Amino acid sequence: MDESLPHESVLHLMKLRKRNNTSDESLIVAFESLFHEYWAPIYRLLLGMVIDPSEAEDLALETFLRLYKHHPVPEAEFNTRGWLQRVAANLALQSIRSFKRREQYELNAGKDALEQAPQHQPPEIMAEKEDQRFVRLALAQMNERQAELLVMRHSGLAYKEIAQALNLAPTSMGPLLLRAEREFEKQYRALTKEKP
Amino acid sequence: MNNHLNDGQLRAALDGELDSEALTHLETCPQCQSRQKAHRAQMELVADKLAFLSAPTKNARLSSTSAWSRFKQHKLTQKETPMFKKLFAIPLIRYGIPALLVLTLVFAFPGARAFASELLNLFRIQQVAVVPVDFTGMQSLNGAVGNDIGQLISNSITMTKKPGNPVDAADAAQASQLTGFNVRVPKDITPSRISVMNGSDFTITVDRAKAQALLVEAGRSDLALPAEIDGAKISVSIPNSVSVDFGTCPSPSADGDSPNLGNNGSASRRYADCVILAEIPSPSVSAPASVDVAQLAQIALEFSGMTSDQAKAFTATVDWTSTLVVPIPKNAASYEQVSVDGVTGTLIQRPSDDAPQFLLLWVKNGIIYAIGGLGSNSQQAIQIANSLP
Repeated sequence: MDESLPHESVLHLMKLRKRNNTSDESLIVAFESLFHEYWAPIYRLLLGMVIDPSEAEDLALETFLRLYKHHPVPEAEFNTRGWLQRVAANLALQSIRSFKRREQYELNAGKDALEQAPQHQPPEIMAEKEDQRFVRLALAQMNERQAELLVMRHSGLAYKEIAQALNLAPTSMGPLLLRAEREFEKQYRALTKEKP
Repeated sequence: MNNHLNDGQLRAALDGELDSEALTHLETCPQCQSRQKAHRAQMELVADKLAFLSAPTKNARLSSTSAWSRFKQHKLTQKETPMFKKLFAIPLIRYGIPALLVLTLVFAFPGARAFASELLNLFRIQQVAVVPVDFTGMQSLNGAVGNDIGQLISNSITMTKKPGNPVDAADAAQASQLTGFNVRVPKDITPSRISVMNGSDFTITVDRAKAQALLVEAGRSDLALPAEIDGAKISVSIPNSVSVDFGTCPSPSADGDSPNLGNNGSASRRYADCVILAEIPSPSVSAPASVDVAQLAQIALEFSGMTSDQAKAFTATVDWTSTLVVPIPKNAASYEQVSVDGVTGTLIQRPSDDAPQFLLLWVKNGIIYAIGGLGSNSQQAIQIANSLP
Protein backbone atom coordinates (compact mmCIF):
# COMPACT_ATOMS: atom_id res chain seq x y z
CA MET A 1 0.00 0.00 0.00
CA ASP A 2 1.19 3.49 -0.79
CA GLU A 3 1.96 5.11 2.55
CA SER A 4 1.58 8.54 1.06
CA LEU A 5 -2.15 8.01 0.64
CA PRO A 6 -4.26 10.67 2.34
CA HIS A 7 -5.48 9.46 5.72
CA GLU A 8 -9.09 9.48 4.69
CA SER A 9 -8.15 7.12 1.85
CA VAL A 10 -6.31 4.88 4.29
CA LEU A 11 -9.40 4.69 6.46
CA HIS A 12 -11.62 4.08 3.50
CA LEU A 13 -9.42 1.28 2.30
CA MET A 14 -9.39 -0.23 5.77
CA LYS A 15 -13.16 -0.16 5.83
CA LEU A 16 -13.44 -1.85 2.47
CA ARG A 17 -10.98 -4.55 3.39
CA LYS A 18 -12.68 -5.22 6.67
CA ARG A 19 -15.98 -5.44 4.88
CA ASN A 20 -14.51 -7.91 2.43
CA ASN A 21 -13.29 -9.97 5.33
CA THR A 22 -9.63 -9.79 4.51
CA SER A 23 -6.73 -9.06 6.76
CA ASP A 24 -3.64 -7.30 5.56
CA GLU A 25 -0.45 -6.32 7.31
CA SER A 26 -0.19 -3.38 4.94
CA LEU A 27 -3.28 -1.88 6.58
CA ILE A 28 -1.42 -1.72 9.84
CA VAL A 29 1.52 -0.12 8.10
CA ALA A 30 -0.75 2.50 6.61
CA PHE A 31 -2.44 3.13 9.93
CA GLU A 32 0.94 3.58 11.57
CA SER A 33 1.68 6.75 9.60
CA LEU A 34 -1.65 8.18 10.66
CA PHE A 35 -0.94 7.19 14.26
CA HIS A 36 2.40 8.99 14.30
CA GLU A 37 0.93 12.15 12.85
CA TYR A 38 -1.85 12.49 15.44
CA TRP A 39 -0.34 10.85 18.50
CA ALA A 40 1.33 13.94 19.97
CA PRO A 41 -1.67 16.32 19.95
CA ILE A 42 -4.05 13.64 21.20
CA TYR A 43 -1.73 12.53 23.96
CA ARG A 44 -1.01 16.12 24.95
CA LEU A 45 -4.70 16.92 25.14
CA LEU A 46 -5.36 13.88 27.31
CA LEU A 47 -2.41 14.59 29.55
CA GLY A 48 -3.74 18.09 30.11
CA MET A 49 -7.17 16.77 30.92
CA VAL A 50 -6.45 13.79 33.12
CA ILE A 51 -2.97 14.74 34.48
CA ASP A 52 -1.89 11.19 35.22
CA PRO A 53 0.53 10.18 32.41
CA SER A 54 -0.34 6.50 32.51
CA GLU A 55 -4.07 7.25 32.38
CA ALA A 56 -3.44 9.65 29.48
CA GLU A 57 -1.46 6.96 27.65
CA ASP A 58 -4.20 4.40 28.10
CA LEU A 59 -6.90 6.77 26.94
CA ALA A 60 -4.84 7.88 23.94
CA LEU A 61 -4.24 4.27 22.90
CA GLU A 62 -7.94 3.58 23.34
CA THR A 63 -8.76 6.59 21.16
CA PHE A 64 -6.63 5.26 18.32
CA LEU A 65 -7.98 1.77 18.76
CA ARG A 66 -11.47 3.12 18.27
CA LEU A 67 -10.39 4.84 15.11
CA TYR A 68 -8.80 1.63 13.91
CA LYS A 69 -11.77 -0.55 14.67
CA HIS A 70 -14.89 1.53 14.62
CA HIS A 71 -14.23 4.66 12.67
CA PRO A 72 -17.20 5.88 10.67
CA VAL A 73 -17.26 5.33 6.94
CA PRO A 74 -15.04 8.17 5.74
CA GLU A 75 -17.03 10.51 3.64
CA ALA A 76 -15.92 13.70 1.99
CA GLU A 77 -16.59 15.55 5.24
CA PHE A 78 -14.78 13.12 7.52
CA ASN A 79 -12.14 14.83 9.61
CA THR A 80 -9.65 12.49 11.23
CA ARG A 81 -8.19 15.01 13.67
CA GLY A 82 -11.60 16.24 14.77
CA TRP A 83 -12.88 12.68 15.22
CA LEU A 84 -9.86 11.74 17.34
CA GLN A 85 -10.10 14.88 19.46
CA ARG A 86 -13.76 14.30 20.08
CA VAL A 87 -13.28 10.70 21.20
CA ALA A 88 -10.26 11.70 23.32
CA ALA A 89 -12.17 14.55 24.95
CA ASN A 90 -15.07 12.25 25.66
CA LEU A 91 -12.88 9.58 27.22
CA ALA A 92 -11.08 12.18 29.33
CA LEU A 93 -14.33 13.70 30.57
CA GLN A 94 -15.56 10.27 31.59
CA SER A 95 -12.31 9.64 33.37
CA ILE A 96 -12.57 12.95 35.23
CA ARG A 97 -16.14 12.18 36.25
CA SER A 98 -15.06 8.84 37.54
CA PHE A 99 -12.17 10.50 39.37
CA LYS A 100 -14.57 13.12 40.68
CA ARG A 101 -16.56 10.39 42.38
CA ARG A 102 -13.47 9.07 44.11
CA GLU A 103 -12.31 12.52 44.97
CA GLN A 104 -15.65 13.36 46.56
CA TYR A 105 -15.29 10.31 48.71
CA GLU A 106 -11.82 11.38 49.78
CA LEU A 107 -12.95 14.89 50.50
CA ASN A 108 -15.74 13.58 52.68
CA ALA A 109 -13.26 11.42 54.50
CA GLY A 110 -11.09 14.45 55.20
CA LYS A 111 -8.40 13.42 52.79
CA ASP A 112 -8.26 16.46 50.61
CA ALA A 113 -5.44 15.84 48.21
CA LEU A 114 -4.27 19.40 48.57
CA GLU A 115 -3.37 18.88 52.17
CA GLN A 116 -1.07 16.10 51.11
CA ALA A 117 0.56 17.99 48.23
CA PRO A 118 4.32 18.32 48.37
CA GLN A 119 5.15 21.31 50.49
CA HIS A 120 8.21 22.32 48.49
CA GLN A 121 6.15 23.50 45.52
CA PRO A 122 5.88 27.29 45.18
CA PRO A 123 2.46 28.61 46.23
CA GLU A 124 1.70 29.98 42.75
CA ILE A 125 2.26 26.54 41.19
CA MET A 126 -0.01 24.97 43.76
CA ALA A 127 -2.65 27.63 43.12
CA GLU A 128 -2.41 27.02 39.39
CA LYS A 129 -2.81 23.29 39.85
CA GLU A 130 -5.76 23.84 42.12
CA ASP A 131 -7.32 26.12 39.52
CA GLN A 132 -6.81 23.51 36.80
CA ARG A 133 -8.54 21.00 39.03
CA PHE A 134 -11.58 23.30 39.21
CA VAL A 135 -11.49 23.71 35.42
CA ARG A 136 -11.55 19.94 34.94
CA LEU A 137 -14.36 19.53 37.44
CA ALA A 138 -16.34 22.33 35.78
CA LEU A 139 -15.96 20.60 32.41
CA ALA A 140 -16.97 17.28 33.91
CA GLN A 141 -20.15 18.78 35.33
CA MET A 142 -21.23 20.20 32.00
CA ASN A 143 -23.38 18.63 29.37
CA GLU A 144 -21.14 16.21 27.44
CA ARG A 145 -21.60 17.89 24.08
CA GLN A 146 -20.88 21.36 25.44
CA ALA A 147 -17.75 20.18 27.23
CA GLU A 148 -16.49 18.42 24.09
CA LEU A 149 -17.12 21.55 22.10
CA LEU A 150 -15.10 23.71 24.48
CA VAL A 151 -12.23 21.27 24.71
CA MET A 152 -12.04 20.92 20.94
CA ARG A 153 -12.24 24.64 20.28
CA HIS A 154 -9.79 25.64 22.96
CA SER A 155 -7.30 23.03 21.91
CA GLY A 156 -7.12 24.65 18.50
CA LEU A 157 -9.67 23.07 16.17
CA ALA A 158 -11.35 25.29 13.59
CA TYR A 159 -15.15 25.57 13.44
CA LYS A 160 -15.29 23.41 10.35
CA GLU A 161 -13.31 20.62 11.96
CA ILE A 162 -15.42 20.68 15.11
CA ALA A 163 -18.63 20.83 13.13
CA GLN A 164 -17.62 17.78 11.12
CA ALA A 165 -16.63 15.81 14.19
CA LEU A 166 -19.78 16.67 16.12
CA ASN A 167 -22.05 16.49 13.09
CA LEU A 168 -23.12 20.10 13.40
CA ALA A 169 -23.59 22.91 10.91
CA PRO A 170 -20.59 25.27 10.99
CA THR A 171 -22.98 28.20 11.33
CA SER A 172 -24.28 26.81 14.62
CA MET A 173 -20.85 26.91 16.19
CA GLY A 174 -21.02 30.54 17.32
CA PRO A 175 -24.25 30.22 19.33
CA LEU A 176 -23.25 26.81 20.72
CA LEU A 177 -19.84 28.04 21.83
CA LEU A 178 -21.39 31.05 23.45
CA ARG A 179 -23.78 28.88 25.46
CA ALA A 180 -21.05 26.40 26.35
CA GLU A 181 -18.74 29.16 27.56
CA ARG A 182 -21.53 30.67 29.61
CA GLU A 183 -22.21 27.32 31.20
CA PHE A 184 -18.52 26.73 31.86
CA GLU A 185 -18.20 30.09 33.59
CA LYS A 186 -21.23 29.30 35.72
CA GLN A 187 -19.89 25.92 36.78
CA TYR A 188 -16.39 27.23 37.35
CA ARG A 189 -17.56 30.14 39.49
CA ALA A 190 -19.82 27.87 41.50
CA LEU A 191 -16.87 25.61 42.24
CA THR A 192 -14.52 28.42 43.14
CA LYS A 193 -17.29 30.51 44.75
CA GLU A 194 -16.17 33.42 42.63
CA LYS A 195 -18.58 36.24 41.83
CA PRO A 196 -18.94 37.10 38.13
CA MET B 1 -28.38 49.18 8.24
CA ASN B 2 -30.41 47.62 11.03
CA ASN B 3 -29.48 43.98 10.49
CA HIS B 4 -27.55 43.73 13.70
CA LEU B 5 -25.60 40.57 14.25
CA ASN B 6 -26.95 37.93 16.59
CA ASP B 7 -24.96 36.76 19.60
CA GLY B 8 -23.74 33.66 17.79
CA GLN B 9 -22.34 35.75 14.94
CA LEU B 10 -20.67 38.08 17.42
CA ARG B 11 -19.06 35.10 19.10
CA ALA B 12 -17.94 33.61 15.78
CA ALA B 13 -16.36 36.93 14.84
CA LEU B 14 -14.06 36.60 17.86
CA ASP B 15 -12.66 33.45 16.29
CA GLY B 16 -12.39 35.04 12.86
CA GLU B 17 -15.14 32.73 11.61
CA LEU B 18 -17.62 35.33 10.38
CA ASP B 19 -18.53 35.83 6.73
CA SER B 20 -17.30 39.00 5.10
CA GLU B 21 -20.69 40.70 4.78
CA ALA B 22 -21.46 40.34 8.47
CA LEU B 23 -17.92 41.35 9.32
CA THR B 24 -18.32 44.56 7.34
CA HIS B 25 -21.40 45.34 9.38
CA LEU B 26 -19.62 44.67 12.63
CA GLU B 27 -16.76 46.96 11.72
CA THR B 28 -19.13 49.87 11.26
CA CYS B 29 -21.73 49.19 13.95
CA PRO B 30 -20.98 50.56 17.46
CA GLN B 31 -24.00 48.72 18.91
CA CYS B 32 -22.78 45.33 17.75
CA GLN B 33 -19.25 46.14 18.86
CA SER B 34 -20.52 47.05 22.29
CA ARG B 35 -22.47 43.80 22.63
CA GLN B 36 -19.47 41.85 21.45
CA LYS B 37 -17.38 43.16 24.34
CA ALA B 38 -19.28 41.04 26.86
CA HIS B 39 -18.79 37.94 24.74
CA ARG B 40 -15.12 38.71 24.39
CA ALA B 41 -14.65 38.89 28.15
CA GLN B 42 -16.35 35.54 28.59
CA MET B 43 -14.38 33.93 25.78
CA GLU B 44 -11.11 35.23 27.14
CA LEU B 45 -11.86 33.89 30.58
CA VAL B 46 -12.59 30.43 29.18
CA ALA B 47 -9.58 30.54 26.85
CA ASP B 48 -7.37 31.50 29.77
CA LYS B 49 -8.72 28.73 31.96
CA LEU B 50 -8.46 26.06 29.27
CA ALA B 51 -5.08 27.14 27.91
CA PHE B 52 -3.28 24.44 29.87
CA LEU B 53 -5.04 21.76 27.81
CA SER B 54 -2.95 22.49 24.75
CA ALA B 55 0.16 23.79 26.49
CA PRO B 56 3.36 21.80 26.23
CA THR B 57 3.85 19.75 29.35
CA LYS B 58 6.89 18.78 31.34
CA ASN B 59 5.28 15.58 32.54
CA ALA B 60 6.32 12.19 31.31
CA ARG B 61 5.85 11.87 27.58
CA LEU B 62 5.38 8.74 25.58
CA SER B 63 6.92 9.12 22.15
CA SER B 64 4.80 8.15 19.20
CA THR B 65 7.24 5.34 18.40
CA SER B 66 6.91 3.79 21.86
CA ALA B 67 3.19 4.43 21.77
CA TRP B 68 2.88 2.68 18.43
CA SER B 69 4.80 -0.25 19.77
CA ARG B 70 2.40 -0.51 22.72
CA PHE B 71 -0.57 -0.03 20.46
CA LYS B 72 0.50 -2.80 18.14
CA GLN B 73 1.46 -5.20 20.91
CA HIS B 74 -1.44 -4.74 23.27
CA LYS B 75 -4.31 -3.05 21.54
CA LEU B 76 -4.31 -4.63 18.11
CA THR B 77 -4.37 -8.07 19.65
CA GLN B 78 -7.60 -7.25 21.49
CA LYS B 79 -10.68 -8.11 19.57
CA GLU B 80 -14.25 -6.91 19.82
CA THR B 81 -15.69 -5.24 22.88
CA PRO B 82 -17.83 -7.13 25.37
CA MET B 83 -20.80 -4.98 24.36
CA PHE B 84 -20.35 -6.15 20.82
CA LYS B 85 -20.00 -9.75 21.82
CA LYS B 86 -23.16 -9.54 23.86
CA LEU B 87 -25.03 -8.63 20.76
CA PHE B 88 -23.56 -11.05 18.31
CA ALA B 89 -21.77 -13.91 19.96
CA ILE B 90 -23.30 -17.25 19.30
CA PRO B 91 -24.28 -17.89 22.93
CA LEU B 92 -26.66 -15.02 22.48
CA ILE B 93 -28.64 -17.20 20.18
CA ARG B 94 -28.59 -20.08 22.62
CA TYR B 95 -29.18 -18.26 25.89
CA GLY B 96 -29.07 -14.64 25.05
CA ILE B 97 -32.42 -14.01 23.47
CA PRO B 98 -34.10 -13.80 26.88
CA ALA B 99 -31.24 -11.59 28.08
CA LEU B 100 -31.47 -9.36 25.06
CA LEU B 101 -35.19 -9.13 25.50
CA VAL B 102 -34.77 -8.17 29.10
CA LEU B 103 -32.21 -5.50 28.28
CA THR B 104 -34.45 -4.12 25.61
CA LEU B 105 -37.55 -4.32 27.70
CA VAL B 106 -35.99 -2.71 30.74
CA PHE B 107 -36.13 0.38 28.62
CA ALA B 108 -39.01 -0.46 26.40
CA PHE B 109 -41.74 -1.80 28.58
CA PRO B 110 -45.29 -0.86 27.75
CA GLY B 111 -47.51 1.89 28.98
CA ALA B 112 -48.81 3.87 26.08
CA ARG B 113 -50.57 6.89 27.47
CA ALA B 114 -53.58 6.15 25.34
CA PHE B 115 -54.33 3.39 27.82
CA ALA B 116 -53.52 5.44 30.88
CA SER B 117 -55.18 3.81 33.79
CA GLU B 118 -54.14 1.90 36.85
CA LEU B 119 -54.35 -1.38 34.94
CA LEU B 120 -51.24 -3.17 33.88
CA ASN B 121 -50.26 -3.23 30.29
CA LEU B 122 -49.08 -6.33 28.55
CA PHE B 123 -46.21 -6.47 26.11
CA ARG B 124 -46.03 -9.13 23.44
CA ILE B 125 -43.61 -9.21 20.57
CA GLN B 126 -45.12 -9.28 17.13
CA GLN B 127 -42.37 -7.69 15.12
CA VAL B 128 -38.70 -6.82 15.05
CA ALA B 129 -37.11 -3.46 14.40
CA VAL B 130 -33.42 -2.70 14.14
CA VAL B 131 -31.88 0.50 15.35
CA PRO B 132 -28.28 1.31 14.41
CA VAL B 133 -26.59 2.82 17.43
CA ASP B 134 -23.24 4.52 17.83
CA PHE B 135 -21.71 2.63 20.73
CA THR B 136 -18.63 4.83 20.90
CA GLY B 137 -19.77 6.49 24.11
CA MET B 138 -21.15 3.30 25.59
CA GLN B 139 -17.94 1.34 25.32
CA SER B 140 -16.60 3.14 28.37
CA LEU B 141 -19.51 1.67 30.31
CA ASN B 142 -17.64 -1.59 30.44
CA GLY B 143 -15.74 -0.11 33.36
CA ALA B 144 -16.89 1.11 36.75
CA VAL B 145 -20.16 2.59 35.55
CA GLY B 146 -20.96 -0.60 33.67
CA ASN B 147 -20.43 -2.57 36.86
CA ASP B 148 -22.67 -0.15 38.72
CA ILE B 149 -25.38 -0.60 36.12
CA GLY B 150 -25.05 -4.36 36.37
CA GLN B 151 -25.22 -4.11 40.15
CA LEU B 152 -28.30 -1.89 40.01
CA ILE B 153 -30.08 -4.28 37.66
CA SER B 154 -29.19 -7.32 39.75
CA ASN B 155 -30.29 -5.57 42.96
CA SER B 156 -33.57 -4.61 41.36
CA ILE B 157 -34.48 -8.07 40.09
CA THR B 158 -36.39 -10.65 42.08
CA MET B 159 -36.38 -14.05 40.39
CA THR B 160 -39.56 -15.97 40.98
CA LYS B 161 -38.73 -18.82 38.63
CA LYS B 162 -35.18 -19.75 37.67
CA PRO B 163 -34.41 -21.09 34.20
CA GLY B 164 -32.42 -24.22 35.17
CA ASN B 165 -30.05 -26.15 32.95
CA PRO B 166 -30.69 -26.99 29.31
CA VAL B 167 -32.06 -30.47 28.55
CA ASP B 168 -31.41 -32.32 25.30
CA ALA B 169 -34.34 -33.47 23.20
CA ALA B 170 -34.25 -36.33 20.69
CA ASP B 171 -36.38 -34.66 18.08
CA ALA B 172 -38.88 -31.91 17.34
CA ALA B 173 -41.74 -33.88 18.84
CA GLN B 174 -40.00 -34.34 22.16
CA ALA B 175 -38.86 -30.71 22.15
CA SER B 176 -42.45 -29.62 21.55
CA GLN B 177 -43.57 -31.75 24.47
CA LEU B 178 -40.91 -30.27 26.77
CA THR B 179 -41.43 -26.65 25.76
CA GLY B 180 -45.20 -26.69 25.38
CA PHE B 181 -45.21 -25.08 21.95
CA ASN B 182 -44.85 -26.43 18.44
CA VAL B 183 -41.08 -26.64 17.86
CA ARG B 184 -40.16 -26.57 14.19
CA VAL B 185 -37.05 -28.30 12.84
CA PRO B 186 -36.04 -28.18 9.15
CA LYS B 187 -37.15 -31.19 7.15
CA ASP B 188 -34.08 -31.75 5.04
CA ILE B 189 -31.24 -30.55 7.30
CA THR B 190 -30.32 -32.79 10.21
CA PRO B 191 -29.54 -30.95 13.44
CA SER B 192 -26.53 -31.96 15.54
CA ARG B 193 -28.34 -31.21 18.79
CA ILE B 194 -31.69 -30.00 20.07
CA SER B 195 -31.78 -28.53 23.56
CA VAL B 196 -34.61 -27.10 25.59
CA MET B 197 -34.31 -24.43 28.21
CA ASN B 198 -36.92 -23.72 30.84
CA GLY B 199 -38.34 -20.25 31.02
CA SER B 200 -38.01 -17.86 33.90
CA ASP B 201 -40.09 -15.24 35.70
CA PHE B 202 -38.82 -12.18 37.49
CA THR B 203 -39.83 -8.75 38.66
CA ILE B 204 -37.84 -5.57 38.32
CA THR B 205 -38.50 -2.79 40.81
CA VAL B 206 -37.30 0.55 39.46
CA ASP B 207 -35.25 2.76 41.77
CA ARG B 208 -35.40 6.03 39.91
CA ALA B 209 -32.90 7.90 42.12
CA LYS B 210 -30.22 5.27 41.69
CA ALA B 211 -30.83 4.93 37.96
CA GLN B 212 -30.68 8.69 37.55
CA ALA B 213 -27.46 8.86 39.57
CA LEU B 214 -25.95 6.31 37.21
CA LEU B 215 -26.98 8.36 34.20
CA VAL B 216 -25.19 11.33 35.74
CA GLU B 217 -22.20 9.13 36.50
CA ALA B 218 -22.14 8.02 32.89
CA GLY B 219 -21.98 11.65 31.83
CA ARG B 220 -25.59 11.98 30.78
CA SER B 221 -26.99 14.43 33.30
CA ASP B 222 -28.93 15.93 30.41
CA LEU B 223 -31.21 12.87 30.43
CA ALA B 224 -33.90 12.94 33.12
CA LEU B 225 -35.84 9.82 34.00
CA PRO B 226 -39.55 10.52 34.57
CA ALA B 227 -40.63 10.66 38.22
CA GLU B 228 -43.50 8.23 37.72
CA ILE B 229 -41.22 5.25 37.07
CA ASP B 230 -39.94 5.30 40.66
CA GLY B 231 -41.03 2.15 42.42
CA ALA B 232 -42.72 0.80 39.30
CA LYS B 233 -42.81 -2.99 39.30
CA ILE B 234 -42.18 -4.59 35.93
CA SER B 235 -42.98 -8.28 35.71
CA VAL B 236 -41.27 -10.29 33.01
CA SER B 237 -42.20 -13.81 32.08
CA ILE B 238 -39.89 -15.64 29.69
CA PRO B 239 -41.32 -18.86 28.24
CA ASN B 240 -39.49 -22.12 27.60
CA SER B 241 -37.25 -21.97 24.55
CA VAL B 242 -35.41 -24.34 22.26
CA SER B 243 -32.16 -24.17 20.39
CA VAL B 244 -31.40 -26.34 17.40
CA ASP B 245 -27.73 -26.71 16.47
CA PHE B 246 -26.36 -27.45 13.03
CA GLY B 247 -22.67 -28.30 12.58
CA THR B 248 -20.10 -28.12 15.37
CA CYS B 249 -21.38 -25.75 18.02
CA PRO B 250 -20.14 -24.82 21.50
CA SER B 251 -21.63 -26.98 24.25
CA PRO B 252 -24.17 -25.45 26.58
CA SER B 253 -22.53 -24.75 29.95
CA ALA B 254 -24.07 -26.23 33.06
CA ASP B 255 -24.37 -22.97 34.96
CA GLY B 256 -26.28 -21.30 32.17
CA ASP B 257 -23.56 -18.75 31.52
CA SER B 258 -22.43 -18.11 28.01
CA PRO B 259 -19.54 -20.34 27.00
CA ASN B 260 -16.37 -18.33 26.60
CA LEU B 261 -15.61 -18.05 22.93
CA GLY B 262 -12.33 -16.31 23.60
CA ASN B 263 -11.32 -13.12 21.93
CA ASN B 264 -8.80 -14.19 19.38
CA GLY B 265 -10.89 -15.42 16.52
CA SER B 266 -9.99 -19.08 17.12
CA ALA B 267 -13.54 -19.79 18.24
CA SER B 268 -14.86 -18.52 14.96
CA ARG B 269 -12.60 -20.94 13.15
CA ARG B 270 -13.50 -23.84 15.45
CA TYR B 271 -17.21 -23.20 15.11
CA ALA B 272 -17.09 -21.95 11.54
CA ASP B 273 -19.84 -24.33 10.42
CA CYS B 274 -22.04 -23.82 13.49
CA VAL B 275 -25.47 -22.37 12.90
CA ILE B 276 -28.04 -22.23 15.68
CA LEU B 277 -31.77 -21.84 15.31
CA ALA B 278 -33.52 -20.54 18.43
CA GLU B 279 -37.27 -20.52 18.95
CA ILE B 280 -39.10 -18.85 21.81
CA PRO B 281 -42.67 -17.65 22.27
CA SER B 282 -42.86 -13.96 23.00
CA PRO B 283 -42.00 -13.08 26.59
CA SER B 284 -44.68 -11.05 28.29
CA VAL B 285 -44.02 -7.93 30.28
CA SER B 286 -46.40 -6.14 32.60
CA ALA B 287 -45.83 -2.64 33.84
CA PRO B 288 -47.90 0.15 35.37
CA ALA B 289 -49.78 2.09 32.74
CA SER B 290 -48.50 5.34 34.16
CA VAL B 291 -45.12 4.55 32.65
CA ASP B 292 -44.61 6.19 29.29
CA VAL B 293 -42.77 3.66 27.19
CA ALA B 294 -42.04 5.96 24.29
CA GLN B 295 -40.46 8.48 26.62
CA LEU B 296 -38.24 5.83 28.23
CA ALA B 297 -37.32 4.39 24.87
CA GLN B 298 -36.29 7.82 23.73
CA ILE B 299 -34.07 8.25 26.78
CA ALA B 300 -32.51 4.84 26.13
CA LEU B 301 -31.83 5.72 22.51
CA GLU B 302 -30.29 9.05 23.45
CA PHE B 303 -28.21 7.31 26.08
CA SER B 304 -26.93 4.93 23.46
CA GLY B 305 -25.69 7.75 21.28
CA MET B 306 -28.57 9.13 19.22
CA THR B 307 -29.29 12.82 19.12
CA SER B 308 -32.57 13.92 20.65
CA ASP B 309 -34.09 14.50 17.21
CA GLN B 310 -32.98 11.13 15.86
CA ALA B 311 -34.38 9.37 18.93
CA LYS B 312 -37.69 11.20 18.62
CA ALA B 313 -37.97 10.32 14.95
CA PHE B 314 -37.23 6.64 15.59
CA THR B 315 -39.52 6.43 18.62
CA ALA B 316 -42.40 7.79 16.59
CA THR B 317 -42.09 4.95 14.08
CA VAL B 318 -42.26 2.10 16.58
CA ASP B 319 -45.17 0.49 18.40
CA TRP B 320 -43.40 -0.12 21.67
CA THR B 321 -45.98 -2.56 22.95
CA SER B 322 -45.31 -5.13 20.24
CA THR B 323 -41.86 -4.52 18.81
CA LEU B 324 -38.57 -6.11 19.77
CA VAL B 325 -36.01 -3.40 19.12
CA VAL B 326 -32.55 -4.76 18.42
CA PRO B 327 -29.70 -2.27 18.70
CA ILE B 328 -26.83 -2.90 16.29
CA PRO B 329 -23.50 -1.09 16.10
CA LYS B 330 -23.70 1.71 13.59
CA ASN B 331 -21.08 1.46 10.84
CA ALA B 332 -19.96 -1.97 12.05
CA ALA B 333 -23.02 -4.05 11.20
CA SER B 334 -25.55 -3.91 8.43
CA TYR B 335 -29.13 -5.11 8.24
CA GLU B 336 -31.71 -5.74 5.59
CA GLN B 337 -35.29 -6.91 5.33
CA VAL B 338 -35.59 -10.38 3.84
CA SER B 339 -38.51 -12.59 2.99
CA VAL B 340 -38.39 -15.79 5.10
CA ASP B 341 -40.84 -18.40 6.34
CA GLY B 342 -43.69 -16.53 4.65
CA VAL B 343 -43.07 -13.32 6.59
CA THR B 344 -40.61 -10.45 6.56
CA GLY B 345 -37.48 -11.03 8.62
CA THR B 346 -34.43 -8.98 9.45
CA LEU B 347 -30.94 -10.15 8.54
CA ILE B 348 -28.15 -8.52 10.54
CA GLN B 349 -24.59 -9.06 9.41
CA ARG B 350 -21.34 -8.02 11.01
CA PRO B 351 -18.37 -8.19 8.70
CA SER B 352 -15.08 -8.75 10.43
CA ASP B 353 -11.56 -9.84 9.58
CA ASP B 354 -11.62 -12.97 11.69
CA ALA B 355 -15.08 -13.34 13.16
CA PRO B 356 -17.89 -12.37 10.82
CA GLN B 357 -21.32 -13.08 12.27
CA PHE B 358 -24.89 -13.07 11.13
CA LEU B 359 -28.27 -13.13 12.78
CA LEU B 360 -31.63 -13.60 11.12
CA LEU B 361 -34.70 -12.66 13.17
CA TRP B 362 -38.37 -13.00 12.46
CA VAL B 363 -41.65 -13.45 14.29
CA LYS B 364 -44.40 -15.81 13.19
CA ASN B 365 -47.56 -16.85 15.00
CA GLY B 366 -46.31 -15.39 18.28
CA ILE B 367 -42.99 -17.26 18.17
CA ILE B 368 -39.70 -15.42 17.82
CA TYR B 369 -37.19 -17.19 15.59
CA ALA B 370 -33.49 -16.40 15.42
CA ILE B 371 -30.81 -18.06 13.34
CA GLY B 372 -27.23 -17.07 13.97
CA GLY B 373 -23.80 -18.21 13.02
CA LEU B 374 -20.16 -17.38 12.91
CA GLY B 375 -19.11 -16.92 9.33
CA SER B 376 -20.21 -14.87 6.42
CA ASN B 377 -22.53 -17.36 4.74
CA SER B 378 -25.80 -15.83 5.86
CA GLN B 379 -27.61 -17.63 3.06
CA GLN B 380 -27.50 -20.71 5.28
CA ALA B 381 -29.82 -18.93 7.70
CA ILE B 382 -32.31 -18.12 4.98
CA GLN B 383 -32.12 -21.69 3.66
CA ILE B 384 -32.86 -23.11 7.12
CA ALA B 385 -35.66 -20.63 7.71
CA ASN B 386 -37.31 -21.51 4.43
CA SER B 387 -37.13 -25.24 5.05
CA LEU B 388 -39.07 -25.13 8.32
CA PRO B 389 -42.24 -27.22 8.10
